[in-house]
Amino acid sequence: MTKKPKSSRRLPLDIDPSLLPCKAGSGEAILPSEQPGYYPGYSNLSQQAFWDKATRDLINDRVNNVPRIRHFSAESALFWRVVFEHVLPQSDRIPERRIPLVERLDERLHNKRGVGYRYEKMPPDREAYRLAEIAINEESQSRFNAHFIDLPHLQQDIVLQAIHDGKPSAAKAIWKQMSIGRFWLLLMQDAIEAYYAHPWAWDEIGFGGPAYPRAYTRLERGEPEPWEVEEQRYDWDAPRYSVSDSTESTHHLHTESRQNEFLPDESQ
Amino acid sequence: MLGPLQHIDFPMRRYRDTEEIDYLIVGCGSGGGVLLQRLARAGFKVVALEAGPFWDTERDWVSDESGSHKLYWEDLRITGGTDPLAFGANNSGKGVGGGSVHWAAFTPRFHPSDFEVYTRDGLGADWPFSYETLRPYYEQLELEMPVAGPAYFPWGHPHGYPYGPHPMGGVGNALIKGCTALGIPVSIGGPVAILSGSRADRPHCIYRGFCIQGCKVGAKASTLVTHVPDAIANGGEVREYSMAHRIELGRDGRVTGVHYFDRDGASWFQRAKAVIVAGYAIETPRLLLNSACPGHENGLANSSDTVGRYLMAQAGNVVLGRFDQPVRMYKAPPAHALTEEFYETDPRNDFARGFAIQTVGPLPIAFGKQMVSAKRAWGWGLRREMMDYNHWASFGLLGEILPWADNRVTLSEERDQFGIRAPHISFNLHDNDHRLIKAAKNKTMEVMQAAGATEVIQEARYAHLVGAARMGKDPRTSVVDKFGRTHDIANLFVCDGSILPTQGSANPGLTIQALAARTADYLIAQGDTVFNSNRRDMNEPPMSRELAPSDTWGHGVPRVK
Amino acid sequence: MTDSIPQILHPVNELKSLENRIREGRFQRSLALLTAATSIFSGLEVAYEHYRGSYSRRVMYTPVILSGVLAAAGVAAFFSRRAARTVLRLAAAVTLVDAGVGFYFHVRGIQRKPGGWRLPMTNMIMGPPIFAPLLFGTSAYLGLIASYLQREDANDIERGDRSGDDTWLARLLPPREGRELLSEEQDIREGAFQRQVAIITGISALLSGFEAYYSHYKNNFRYAVQWTPIAIAPLLAAASFAAIRSRRIATTALPAISAVAAADSAIGFYYHARGVLRRPGGTKHLIYNIIYGPPIFAPLLFGAAGMLGILASLLRRRRP
Repeated sequence: MTKKPKSSRRLPLDIDPSLLPCKAGSGEAILPSEQPGYYPGYSNLSQQAFWDKATRDLINDRVNNVPRIRHFSAESALFWRVVFEHVLPQSDRIPERRIPLVERLDERLHNKRGVGYRYEKMPPDREAYRLAEIAINEESQSRFNAHFIDLPHLQQDIVLQAIHDGKPSAAKAIWKQMSIGRFWLLLMQDAIEAYYAHPWAWDEIGFGGPAYPRAYTRLERGEPEPWEVEEQRYDWDAPRYSVSDSTESTHHLHTESRQNEFLPDESQ
Repeated sequence: MLGPLQHIDFPMRRYRDTEEIDYLIVGCGSGGGVLLQRLARAGFKVVALEAGPFWDTERDWVSDESGSHKLYWEDLRITGGTDPLAFGANNSGKGVGGGSVHWAAFTPRFHPSDFEVYTRDGLGADWPFSYETLRPYYEQLELEMPVAGPAYFPWGHPHGYPYGPHPMGGVGNALIKGCTALGIPVSIGGPVAILSGSRADRPHCIYRGFCIQGCKVGAKASTLVTHVPDAIANGGEVREYSMAHRIELGRDGRVTGVHYFDRDGASWFQRAKAVIVAGYAIETPRLLLNSACPGHENGLANSSDTVGRYLMAQAGNVVLGRFDQPVRMYKAPPAHALTEEFYETDPRNDFARGFAIQTVGPLPIAFGKQMVSAKRAWGWGLRREMMDYNHWASFGLLGEILPWADNRVTLSEERDQFGIRAPHISFNLHDNDHRLIKAAKNKTMEVMQAAGATEVIQEARYAHLVGAARMGKDPRTSVVDKFGRTHDIANLFVCDGSILPTQGSANPGLTIQALAARTADYLIAQGDTVFNSNRRDMNEPPMSRELAPSDTWGHGVPRVK
Repeated sequence: MTDSIPQILHPVNELKSLENRIREGRFQRSLALLTAATSIFSGLEVAYEHYRGSYSRRVMYTPVILSGVLAAAGVAAFFSRRAARTVLRLAAAVTLVDAGVGFYFHVRGIQRKPGGWRLPMTNMIMGPPIFAPLLFGTSAYLGLIASYLQREDANDIERGDRSGDDTWLARLLPPREGRELLSEEQDIREGAFQRQVAIITGISALLSGFEAYYSHYKNNFRYAVQWTPIAIAPLLAAASFAAIRSRRIATTALPAISAVAAADSAIGFYYHARGVLRRPGGTKHLIYNIIYGPPIFAPLLFGAAGMLGILASLLRRRRP
């Protein structure tokens, strides 16, 4: 894989620097790159000669064949594409190295593929996404008097944060028939299933990838295999126009439904 | 047929539907696989119906997290209650080998105390027999899988393992460090049903960490590689893509066979002199309930109204710790070290029973979901946490949840892709469970801290499934007797995790297979009486070690028994 | 006669006399004892290495049993000349064959791992250690040599005694090879087998150097000192093979590099032992850490090659 030197690349005109992560301290935007993360030069796909055929075929298909939208309408597909730009942002990747997310969700809904269970507080997945689109738009209307996709980036982030926090200010009827916490989990799961199933994401996080027949020899102390790369950390801040970079430990909540359904923890 | 190194190079016998076979097993997983092998070797005409495929591991399985969904039971299930359970990849398998194809393969035994929980603690239930009854079967199945582990395992009834322990990965080392710092004993390198030395045509583990995605190597034991090949060599049949939906009851009150759908949705009926349901804790009660018929309006074998009740899962909270140095927890099998120091009831606690702490090794997708629940991460925060994937280690606690009547499987009004009524599962934690989980979670976090983690978080979840067709002495409060025979119908048996009255804080796989071998011994000792009489012989059968798969003997280290 | 006692106690004279005994092949008792000692070490090593492999084949017990037998035979040979010529020779020969069988099974074991020889490095590291069985044969080789030597206190009559020779074996062979065998045996008995030991030293250095290479590679060469056996092994091998041709090298470079190798093995032994103690759980889980930590006795095997080198340098060359 040929790599262009970073310095020669200019910021594309259509990207607002306030949507890019930046260097910690200086606040200077980090230009979109082929491969963000702490493992520069690490490539899972370059190792595919050491994978078994079934796995190689599957991963190459995943990289090369992006399914077309069949379930969502064009409007809904655009809506969810924008949502995914917030729940799993990729503005630090150059456009041709962004990982398709909404296409994977669409494929799953089209094939009605479940995960083996559905919460009784949840409608079937297609319905859940249909209702959530309405609810998120109502939330946008109530907060900022506009449709979700017409909002500026930061306000979109704020709308989604309300869903994330389980504190919607609108669409109470929808959230009554559908658990907001469970929906959020469903959305995040679909995003994660698509993004972190992709070998480019594995390169980003330094994951070893497929390991058969060749497996690992250096099991201890986090030593890299000969074809893996040592970590090279750098400090970065999330884009200025985003609110999603804060986390909150839920270690005090000892049951799954308390963590994910915002149930009051009456036993504390 | 199975993979690059394991072959089944003999044709499988195929019975005709119209032929009345001896035993029809529903489900070819942990329980069904062992049962099929024993009964076939004993010379019975036996068929196992399997809803999923007969795997060709080299062709069908991939070394990939998201590409492994076909291993899991992903048909529709509705989950509810105050503490709804997750199914699918979490605990339910499909295809020959069942859950043993995607288990992490921890195989601790239950402790002697597990068999008398009610007597000791006044909660839960007693088993209809003691640890000593099952012990020879534990020893036997540990040889057949075989189980790798330390030469001396100190908890419960102390014993050693037939295969040597495994080397450690980063997560195991963290558990050892944390436990050692707190003075907690720890079992290193097992017990896991993963080969630490090659055996016959199965190579030993290559430490790639994809256990839960199906072991393409063949090092991890599943009945697909340990028992099914031997079953087929001895005339047993596995009928793939056969989804049982109703057990037929004859006019004499005895079952006559099973209706099933093939992969195209066509319905078939296989006649049999006796039926053994081995569909695991959701599908077994679902099939019994779906087989309701005149005289059995609440479902087959359900005169006690116990079918579907006393469903159990274990608390499986995952504690994650971030270390300054990289860990790379995707290397080595997720299962490679554990401690059962807190397994038993401790009078100093405000709860009965206990928990275990084990290594786990989530791959990126699973880890990402944990970050969503444990840190409420999303957007850039999620990307940031994920970039640190290689710095995290994770322990899973395994906490005993007691059997409660309101934790149950019923039938939903919704239907699956075959038009069969889907199961509805209701699961609720009770006070003892809450107190136990809290204490277990805190202790596990303490161990992670002691291991040197600079940040410790926790994702709450559940693991394993058992109960829902429990065995017992009293037909009014249990579904099957101590050999797995339903109290109501003399030629209908249940043989899987659903018959467990309690579950301890041990992974249930070994116990399920040990129980299956014992039920098989019982059936073999009964000969034809099961087929033509309603008499119940409650005498313990002799153990028939000679019916073990042919390559059981001649391997392994001498061990403490 | 009167001044002989102080002479024996004098360290330089003592060394001189030891050297003479080696030159003349009169060190059966010491070598038998050395055989017993190395056999015990390699027996322990193979016992736990095979435990890691779970004794998944019954044949994996044979080297453990044989090293016990060989050690006992070595001790017996220390006390009895007869035992040295019979029991020790037999035990050593069988052990040597077993080493060959082990080599076959280890090669096959690597081949049968997923990917087989297409992934040579991965499968050599994670499979059975390929050359370990041959290195295990070192003690057997020492035992075999010992069985042909003379006792330390051998007199002239004994020196001419050929009753310990394998004349029956020589008769089984074609006449030429039979004669060759007997003359080789005689050379050994008289300490004139420098070349043979040099060859074995060279091979042993190469094998253990390679074992050190891939096991340190597995550990990512975390410490610079891990490179030392890999640097020394080829030098030792080169000196050994050069010593076959050159008598000068046999008495200069060979003993010098051998001494370095032996010293390095002591350093290695220290680091390996330290590595074991530094593992998680340290002394609390000592047995596990010995089995799965750096192999404690492996550096000593490297040292054995060095010792062989020193032995070679002290021996005489074969008569022209």
